[in-house]
Amino acid sequence: MKRTMWAFVLAVMVLWPGLARAGGASEAAGSEALPVGATFPDVSLGSDLPDAHRSYLGIAQKDGPVRLADVTAPVVILEIFSMYCPHCQREAPVLNDLYALLERGGHADTVKMLGIGAGNSAMEVDIYRNKFQTPYPLVADQKFEVHDACGKVGTPYFYVLAKKPGETAYTVVLSRLGRMDSPESFAADVLAAAP
Amino acid sequence: MSRSHSWMTPLASSRRGPFCRILLAALPLMVVIGFSPTARAEEAPAFTDSLFQAPEPLKSVDSVLAVKVGDPMPDFDLPTIDGGRVRLSDFVGKKKLVLSFVPAAWTPVCSGQWPGYNIARELFAAENAELVGISVDNVPSLHAWVTQMGGLWFPVASDFWPHGGLTGKLGILRPEGVAERALFIVDEKGIIRYIDVHDINSRPDLGVLLTALRGIKD
Repeated sequence: MKRTMWAFVLAVMVLWPGLARAGGASEAAGSEALPVGATFPDVSLGSDLPDAHRSYLGIAQKDGPVRLADVTAPVVILEIFSMYCPHCQREAPVLNDLYALLERGGHADTVKMLGIGAGNSAMEVDIYRNKFQTPYPLVADQKFEVHDACGKVGTPYFYVLAKKPGETAYTVVLSRLGRMDSPESFAADVLAAAP
Repeated sequence: MSRSHSWMTPLASSRRGPFCRILLAALPLMVVIGFSPTARAEEAPAFTDSLFQAPEPLKSVDSVLAVKVGDPMPDFDLPTIDGGRVRLSDFVGKKKLVLSFVPAAWTPVCSGQWPGYNIARELFAAENAELVGISVDNVPSLHAWVTQMGGLWFPVASDFWPHGGLTGKLGILRPEGVAERALFIVDEKGIIRYIDVHDINSRPDLGVLLTALRGIKD
């Protein structure tokens, strides 16, 4: 019994830093994240989405400015990130793994991923995209307009949004600050939270 | 009863010592905190919380430039946080030099600027340019700050002593003794080709800097 106890103590001490690091994030002063159940604002996704990303989001036929409500997918994983945020940089490959996992799992048509570069210019978002070969759409939010609209959250922040057929607005079904434990566990949480 | 006694005695014994008792007593709390989603999300903010937040925005620029585009870059020889030195002569005739001055270690905007440059190393290299970060903090403070940020690939130099020696020559030393948030590009001939003395309260767009760097031709 004593050996078990001490083994547990040592295990906690060894694992402690790793456990804490798993949730790395850059906090934002005055943040008020949108809670689960809130209607997500119909934010602008700009005018610069390339054809491939418009197609991915199911809006290939739409030219010009795009808004979130234009997206037809029943579930959207929306990440608020910054190319300046070290946690976001470390999370980028994990998100690529999540993207691949969703594809392999047959969820590519129903669960879409989207990144919002809070305070980042289009060129800064391009630097991040090129560095990490991000396959899903990333949108520059240089004036923090989207960031302000969705709670001035720290980064990385994950909103999982869902809407039913016929609905225009998305509803928050998962709202979470910080790096994910693993793509597998996050995907499981997304699929469990989405109706 | 005897089993209970035998369980309690070793914990209370001097062989385990007070440290072990404290550790065991704190264990349930550590487990609860360690596994709570809130704690997991807020680990990194230990760094964020340690940053100094000015009570109000500072005057955007509070110095008068002493150099202009086309001038020779003043010579410098500064200590770096890895124990080395960085000199103008290291670059003249070889590479372009990008100098990124930030006002102070352990402040929010500065802490959110250089980590972005961490993923742009190849972009500077593609322009035959080296990046050097400079502030007027002393070497130990800069070392601790950069380490806490997770490290940087480019050299970070201290213009602490004589205080603001280079910063003063450039005319970007503010009255409170810190550097402006400023960017300089120096070409291979040692000539200043770009200056951005930025609003101290906001982060300059890395895209603008890279565009300027790409626009510098012989």
